[in-house]
Amino acid sequence: MKKFFVIALLAILGFYLTIAFLQIPFGQNRLGQPQDEATVGAYYLNNTKEKSAVSNVVTAIVVNYRGFDTLGEVTVLFLASTGLASILYRRKEEEVERINKPSSSLLQTGSKFLFPLVVLLGIYVFIHGHLTPGGGFQGGAIIATGFLLMLIAYQKYHVSHSMLTWVESLAGVLFVSIGLWGLITGGTFLENSYFPKGVLNSLISGGAIPIIYIAVGFKVAAELTGVLDILLNTKEEKSVPSNQNEK
Amino acid sequence: MMEYLKYIGQGLIVFGSLFLFLGALGIFRMPDFYNRLQAGTKASTLGAMSLILGVGFIQPEWMIKSLIIVVFIAVANPLSSHALGRSAYKNNLKPFMKKKMDAYEKVAEILPKEEDRL
Repeated sequence: MKKFFVIALLAILGFYLTIAFLQIPFGQNRLGQPQDEATVGAYYLNNTKEKSAVSNVVTAIVVNYRGFDTLGEVTVLFLASTGLASILYRRKEEEVERINKPSSSLLQTGSKFLFPLVVLLGIYVFIHGHLTPGGGFQGGAIIATGFLLMLIAYQKYHVSHSMLTWVESLAGVLFVSIGLWGLITGGTFLENSYFPKGVLNSLISGGAIPIIYIAVGFKVAAELTGVLDILLNTKEEKSVPSNQNEK
Repeated sequence: MMEYLKYIGQGLIVFGSLFLFLGALGIFRMPDFYNRLQAGTKASTLGAMSLILGVGFIQPEWMIKSLIIVVFIAVANPLSSHALGRSAYKNNLKPFMKKKMDAYEKVAEILPKEEDRL
C-alpha cells in the first residue's frame, strides 16, 4: 500500500515536470546574444541598467533576480555553522586548548599590523559588490581569513561568540526585512524598484542591492569566523592522577 | 609630466616582471626548501612591489590604493616566508648543506622559551 502510494506520487510529480519541461523548446540557444530579445541573458543584460541601476550584472542577478536563492545559500551556511557549533563549541574557556603551537613574536607583531588591512580589504570588496567583481560572500571570507590570522598567531585570542551571534542575526534580519519591505510595497519578495536608485556607476546606486550585500558580507564573516574559532579549539585531556584511582 | 609618469611606470613594471621571473627561476633551480623559500620571497617581494607601484604611476588616481598594497606586501611576504621557514625548521626538515652551518641552533639556546611567552 505504501509502495503504491509512493509510486503514484512520483508519477504525478513526473507528469507535471514533463509538462513543464516540454514547453521549453529543446536544443535551442536560451542564453543567447544581447541582440536577441527573446532570450534570458538578453533580458538581464538589457534591463539591469535601467531597472536596478547596477553596473555589475552578476550582482544584480545574484542579489535581486535570484535573491531568494541567495537567502537560501546564506541559510545553508548558517545551518552548517550552527550544527558545527552545537557539536564542538565549549562554553568554559578553561577546558579549551588550541591546536596550533605558539608562534614567534615576529609573526604576532606582524599579524597585529596586517589584521586591519585584511579587514579593510574585505569591507572594500563587499561594499563595492555592485560595482566590481566580488561581493558579500567573498568579502566575508576575506574578513574571516583576517580573524584566522589572529587566531593562529595568538593562542589566547578569543572571538566573542555572543557578539558573532548578534552580528549574524542582525544581518539576517536586515536581509529578510528588506525582502519583506519589497513584498509589502512592490508585491514581490525582494522587489527593488521601490527603493531610491541613485546614479549608475557610483557607490550609492542600485537601491537595496548594496545594503543586502553588506548584510550578506557581515553574516558570512561572522559565520566563518565562528566556524574557524570552533575548529581551532580542542578539549583539554584531563590527566587523572593514578594514585586516586587505586584508593 | 603625465608622459614621464607613464614611462616611469612602464619601466617599473618591466623591472618587476624581471624580478618575478628570477624568483620563479630560483624556485625551479634551488636545491632545497630553505633556498627556494629565500629565492621566492626576496625576488617576488621586490617584483610584486615594483609592479604594483608601476601600475600606480601609470594610473595616478590608483596611487593611494597601490601604496597600501605595497605596504601590505612589504609586511606580509617576508612574514609568511618567516613562518614557513620556522615551522619547517621546528619540524626537523634538514637543510641541504655543504658545510655544517646552523646559526639558529646557537641562537635558540639564548632565546627565551616559547612556551613562557605565548
